Amino acid sequence: MKKLLASTILAAGIMGFAGAASAEDCGRVTIANMNWASAEVLANIDKIILEEGYGCDAELVAGDTQPTLTSMIEKGEPDVAPEAWVNAMRVVLDKATEEGKLHYASESLSEGGVEGWWIPKYVADKHPEIKTVVDALNHPEVFPHPDDASKGGLYNCPEGWGCRVITTNQFKAYDGAEHGFELVETGSAAGLDGSIAKAYEAGEPWFGYYWAPTALLGKYDMVKLDFPVEFNKEEWDSCTSKPDCADPKPNAWSKSEVYTVVTDRFKQAGGPAYEYLENRSWENNTVNKLLAWMSDNQATGEDAAYHFLNESPDVWTNWVSEDVAEKVKKAVK
Amino acid sequence: MVSLPEWVPDWLLDFPAMDRSTLTAIKKTIDTGFREFTRAYGAGFETALSPVKWFMFWMEDLLTDSSWILVLLVITGIAYLASRSLKIAASVAVILLLVGYFGMWEDTMSTIAMTVVATLLAIIVGIPIGILMARSDRVQSVFNPILDVMQTMPSFVYLVPVIMLLGIGRVPGLIAVMVYAIPPIIRLTNLGIRLVDKDVLEAADAFGSSSWQRLKNVQMPLALPTIMAGVNQTIMMALAMVVVAAMIGVPGLGLGILRSINNQYFTLGMFNGLAIVGIAIIFDRVSQAYGKRLQKHLEVVHG
Repeated sequence: MKKLLASTILAAGIMGFAGAASAEDCGRVTIANMNWASAEVLANIDKIILEEGYGCDAELVAGDTQPTLTSMIEKGEPDVAPEAWVNAMRVVLDKATEEGKLHYASESLSEGGVEGWWIPKYVADKHPEIKTVVDALNHPEVFPHPDDASKGGLYNCPEGWGCRVITTNQFKAYDGAEHGFELVETGSAAGLDGSIAKAYEAGEPWFGYYWAPTALLGKYDMVKLDFPVEFNKEEWDSCTSKPDCADPKPNAWSKSEVYTVVTDRFKQAGGPAYEYLENRSWENNTVNKLLAWMSDNQATGEDAAYHFLNESPDVWTNWVSEDVAEKVKKAVK
Repeated sequence: MVSLPEWVPDWLLDFPAMDRSTLTAIKKTIDTGFREFTRAYGAGFETALSPVKWFMFWMEDLLTDSSWILVLLVITGIAYLASRSLKIAASVAVILLLVGYFGMWEDTMSTIAMTVVATLLAIIVGIPIGILMARSDRVQSVFNPILDVMQTMPSFVYLVPVIMLLGIGRVPGLIAVMVYAIPPIIRLTNLGIRLVDKDVLEAADAFGSSSWQRLKNVQMPLALPTIMAGVNQTIMMALAMVVVAAMIGVPGLGLGILRSINNQYFTLGMFNGLAIVGIAIIFDRVSQAYGKRLQKHLEVVHG
């Protein structure tokens, strides 16, 4: 009995030691847990894989695009932004990567994110003449403003998000006010999502900013309207994405590049864990399915991460080596 | 590695919670039920609230579209009439001038409009409820827990059903503000009436006053200072909700604060925050001075 106890303690000690040793390899890593579902899932997946597979001591830190990336540039904290929508902060980020403060690892969404102005499918079916944003702006009577039905309403992106600057500038560029429209400030993500859900439940028209991949677009069938011009990078960088641009010109969203952004410190310290972040990338379809599952089951980002790691090994085992895959598989069972 | 002996059953360690699928099923059922409710009655609620919407817009247009000089003069004038104090009137004017000079005139006017509408509605709805509560212990025992919930339930919780019912914008924002801001006026109306001296009521009865006369001529006047304290608290709580209201798209100083939170614009946040403090001081000093004046005036009558 004594022997058994001793060997148990020894085994526990060795395991503890082994854990400590591998944790030293990768060390402490803080992962930005952005406040929308797809980023939350990815942050949780990263956390599980980095902890279980690479022995990192991973911690999630709540975040939002601009504050998190700014903090990464200025303070080097958090270490990893798993799903950084870089379009809105392109200039600053490119500068930071040139200076070597930050690094782009993998392209988290291989197909990129799709942003734009959307309308519900039932509105598109009822008004086949509305194909582009200009068509929509020509019909303010179809999209009444919730506060003032005599005007049209374009639901803006939430306050403080990069897309709000862009939507506001685009609204000016396409003469939204002259067309009898007014921007509807949604204030928060809850406000924006809620306004779509409400419109859908009541079968009311809706016209505003949204993006894919999202559970909401998986749940509610929406149509993205075309912009009449092509993406103009120069105009975008110098004006469309600038909050104080005086005279914005019509422009269009390009495919949003969505990268995993990593601080220089973790690139140096992470070793194989950084290699994982360079490989990890998934398709919108996978994400949509996962997000739909999440919303159907009212699951948290963590639940969804475990669900994904259990149900879709065919996707994620490509990101890691075989022995890491084994370790993770064992841990998530 | 600490572990308990095998024979200890699991349920002693882990709380025997409902299993996940049942819990999910419950959540889903309630959500679906609520969705059906909004589909059936959402439009009805919107129609019922259209006078409120109209009033809200009328007030906001009045404050934002009129010339700033006029608005400034009227607000300062109201402050003087209510307080009869040149000092208070002058500080009101200075605060408004400062807010305007720092480029927040329009946002401030939107916020003032919302606060005024919320306060007036709270008075119209709250005082009768408070009176009912004061007259019947049973009504009081029904309303008290409801008021507790309204004051402690985190406002984000009821933002979701409010958005689903009414969408986003000024009216749903106003509802969210009212839920939080109406309890003090109800509670203090109730308290004020209950605190009226029994002897005074007996005297009123002895003179043969009807219950309406007793309420109108004795209880309400004597309770007025307490009720005014309730009005004051309601105003303060309505102002505290400005940022939450901005989260569902109510224009005003709250939006500036949301922007500053999300972008670390320290100064912008500070300016907007101070503007809210400024409005709060205006409302507070004016309503308190008015309350005190009422009391004095009443003392003369009754004394």
